[in-house]
Amino acid sequence: MSGMPVAAVQALQPLTVLVAAPGVSGFIATAEARMQGRRGPRVLQPYYDLAKLFRKESLAPVGASAVFLAAPVLAMVCYLTVPLLIPVLTSYGLPLGYMGDILGGGIILSLASFAVAVGAAETGSPYAQLGSSRSKTFAAITEPVMLFVVFAVALVTGTDLPYAMAATVRSGADQILRPSHLLAAAALFLVILYETGRIPVEAHRSTNEFGMIEEARSFEYSGPYFALLTWGSAMKQLILYTILINVFLAPWGLSSTRDASDVVLAVVLLVAKALVIGLVVAVIDNSFAKLRLFKITEFVAAAFLLAVLAVFTLYLGGG
Amino acid sequence: MGDLLIVLAVLPFAAVVLSAVAPPAVGRACTVASGVVSLGCAIALVPSAAHGGLKVGFLRLDALAGVFVLAAAFVYAVTSVYAVGYLREDEGEEGFTRYARRFHAGLNLFAWSMMCACLVDGLALLWIGVEITTVVSALLVAIDATEDASEAAWKYVLLASVGLGIALLGTIVMYYAGSTVFGGAYDLSITKLLQAGGRLPHTPVRLAFVLAVVGFGTKAGLVPMHTWLPDAHAEAPTPVSAMLSGSLLAVSFYAVLRYFQVARAAVGPVFPQRVLLAFGVASLLLAALYVLDQHDVKRLLAYSSVEHMGILAVAVGFGAPLASAGALLHVLAHAAAKSNAFMGAGVLARTYRTKEISRIRGAMERLPVSAPLFLVAVFALAALPPFGIFRSEFQIVAGGLGSTRGGWAAVLVALVTLAFLGLATAATRMVVVPSGRPRLRSLGAAAIPVREPSWWMITPVLVGLAALVLLGVHPPADLTALLGRGAAELGGGGR
Amino acid sequence: MRPVPSIYAGTTNAIAVLVLLTEFAMLRTALLRSQVRLYAVQSLLVSALAVVVAAVRDVPELYALAALSLALKVVVVPWLVLRLLRDADAEIAGSGTLSVASEVLVALLVGGLGFFAVDQLHVSSRVLPTTALGLAVAVVGVSFVLMIVRSDVVSQAVGFFSLENGVSLASLVVAAGLPLILEVAFLFDLLVAVVVFGFLMRVHHSRTATLSTAALTRLRG
Repeated sequence: MSGMPVAAVQALQPLTVLVAAPGVSGFIATAEARMQGRRGPRVLQPYYDLAKLFRKESLAPVGASAVFLAAPVLAMVCYLTVPLLIPVLTSYGLPLGYMGDILGGGIILSLASFAVAVGAAETGSPYAQLGSSRSKTFAAITEPVMLFVVFAVALVTGTDLPYAMAATVRSGADQILRPSHLLAAAALFLVILYETGRIPVEAHRSTNEFGMIEEARSFEYSGPYFALLTWGSAMKQLILYTILINVFLAPWGLSSTRDASDVVLAVVLLVAKALVIGLVVAVIDNSFAKLRLFKITEFVAAAFLLAVLAVFTLYLGGG
Repeated sequence: MGDLLIVLAVLPFAAVVLSAVAPPAVGRACTVASGVVSLGCAIALVPSAAHGGLKVGFLRLDALAGVFVLAAAFVYAVTSVYAVGYLREDEGEEGFTRYARRFHAGLNLFAWSMMCACLVDGLALLWIGVEITTVVSALLVAIDATEDASEAAWKYVLLASVGLGIALLGTIVMYYAGSTVFGGAYDLSITKLLQAGGRLPHTPVRLAFVLAVVGFGTKAGLVPMHTWLPDAHAEAPTPVSAMLSGSLLAVSFYAVLRYFQVARAAVGPVFPQRVLLAFGVASLLLAALYVLDQHDVKRLLAYSSVEHMGILAVAVGFGAPLASAGALLHVLAHAAAKSNAFMGAGVLARTYRTKEISRIRGAMERLPVSAPLFLVAVFALAALPPFGIFRSEFQIVAGGLGSTRGGWAAVLVALVTLAFLGLATAATRMVVVPSGRPRLRSLGAAAIPVREPSWWMITPVLVGLAALVLLGVHPPADLTALLGRGAAELGGGGR
Repeated sequence: MRPVPSIYAGTTNAIAVLVLLTEFAMLRTALLRSQVRLYAVQSLLVSALAVVVAAVRDVPELYALAALSLALKVVVVPWLVLRLLRDADAEIAGSGTLSVASEVLVALLVGGLGFFAVDQLHVSSRVLPTTALGLAVAVVGVSFVLMIVRSDVVSQAVGFFSLENGVSLASLVVAAGLPLILEVAFLFDLLVAVVVFGFLMRVHHSRTATLSTAALTRLRG
């Protein structure tokens, strides 16, 4: 088979995520602004922001240890590793794709968020600590949700490789219509809303410190480190969207060969699908109110309900 | 004979229509007429029910149905007469015409639904019949529109409806069990299900039976689903209480027995008997304890109903033919005794304007006729000879001792004795202990006038006592045949 | 690897899952009005399922049943209850004894119990996959939780009505061939029960000037 070398395709996966992630964030911000009747920032604004931040100096609070500075880098490394494991561009498993399964991907994502939380806790700033403790509190419920989603996937496919799940979904309409699949996808979507700090959990880019979870954690960072963190959270968003799209909702349009044209098409399609999801998220952002902090448990409990029901229907009666 | 069956299914309904539109006097007359004629029909149907049974359209009468129809018709007849006197006291009050119309229509509809529930052929129709009894009786409980009555009615309608929801689930599961034998389109007819017998799949039949016991048992007042019962019985107008306790509980238990029949035919006797025994003993135990320490006379009688339903369940659970026949006799005797006791308690409660036992004293002095009658009715209810309940309980215990579950028969005797103590002391205190003590006088008891209620309210109690003596001393041959036949049907010999 | 259900089974199961989810939503929602609306949605789903079964499995009686239950449970019953709510001028459901998240967890346990129980039964149906039966039993279980934890007449009544929806769902699975006349009689009975519930709710409201059942504690012992 001709075409690009496998290693190139492999490298293209994290690269795509790396490059496209700020754009997707920018697109959501623009779309939201337009829906509210504002002009909003340019779609490319996040790139300019990053460029500016990288040129600035960086300050660390007095007393913060090396962990504070290591955290953004570690998070970035994690976010670059995960795209190697999931089907970003290809429908066939790439060599490094077998390094870890969907659980492995989940663990690496958690490691990233753990690193950020620890880094935030290093600062001694009340808001940053508030954010990291809150995020870990609610994560205690979202983590089991992710586990149940993984169980559902594992029960459907017999393996927990994301590639296998995508292939199963592609195999026919009967696979898409089964309730366990729909429930697991819905649960995952709710978790993504939580993880990416969207309404109804948290107002993205708000200035109200009391309601912050995800956003509060980067308060004390500045310069290139802050750039890494923002970039990282944009990548996390795109990675989660990719899992939702390419594993659950629409695993079509992935490249089945190594042809350059196919791979490029896959990149374009991935970005397009991510933008569609982003649009949906923007609509949700504009249609609902932020929940009170104590109501967030109810939100994640709903996700938990969906995920558990997915496993139930599957385990009892093959639904 | 088939004509009588149709009369039984149509006449009370005609009375509903008439009493809903006609003036109260007409409604009264046709209620009494319908009650008495229904009782006559039910009695006339005893021989044919005892010897072979009848089937007209979707109506079906076998011995089991015959027993329960007789009980329902008897209570209907006596309460319709009693209601005349009961309503007379309110006559002339504002809104009386409307109240009386509703009352009579409701009473007739209630009786009609109960008799129809016993007469229809098919578990689905049975469910519908029992559901109608629920909605009608809930409205009747709430008819006085006091705060207590609406509380009781709400609890009743919610619990009973939920119970019937479960029973509906049971019905559907039973349909499923039957459809594996007969295919999709059949009508859950009892005859067919009994014919299928052992060919029915076991697990669904068991499930259906348990769901039916829980569901219909809620309405029959089996513990732990009995919680609505004391409230509804205590807050309803007395004639309605008598019907609730004397016949509604029995009709609900009839539904349980139908499922018992099918389950017995399908999965053998052990499992259904065990289930009934468990619920029965629980009901007996709890009710006997509550009867011992009760402050409200109508609640006292209500808990006694729970106890008697427990006795029925235990009796059928024994599985001995003698005990089953005793259970059916018990249904009749309990219907007569409990309606008597409620009617007597109603007179006391009206005279003293309270239902609290501690404030009713010296009834003998004030009500020289109806107070002793109440006392006798309670003694009959507490299974003193020579009344019917003594005979039936004797049969049940004898049958139980002869069966493999003799130990439970001993428990039954102990708990029944406990309940007897509670009932007898409470009633004796109310009737015999004089009210001369100053404490009671200060409560205003002395100001209560000596006034016997009208004969409308005394005659039914006399009739009931006569029936109880008849059942206790020498049941007619046809009736004995009916009971024997019914016991055989319960024992798996039904056709 | 589990066997893949057919498209028909998947669709019907998905509808049945939605019925269960609306039941959970009823448990979560705080507004009485939205509770009634959710009931209407749930009834609509059950009717839709009846239509799907009627079309695919060729059981023409179910069309009539679906139409009737649509008219009754989606239009008449919610309308009656909503009218009562308008008159009663109450909006918030009687807050339960549990927080919403714990309610969901308890209901999940109860529902799961229903699932496992049905799984043990080995009931097989001609018209629908058994998953739907498990879901129906779960709906019944969750409606029990709803009636227990909520303390106002509307929630309790809606809980009962939705229990009936669960039973309807079960009857679609195991008793789709039940003679139409009986099904209609069941529905008619429901209507009567609804009228009685409505009447008693009105009585309750006129007596106590509230929809809460917290004060119904006079009768005991």
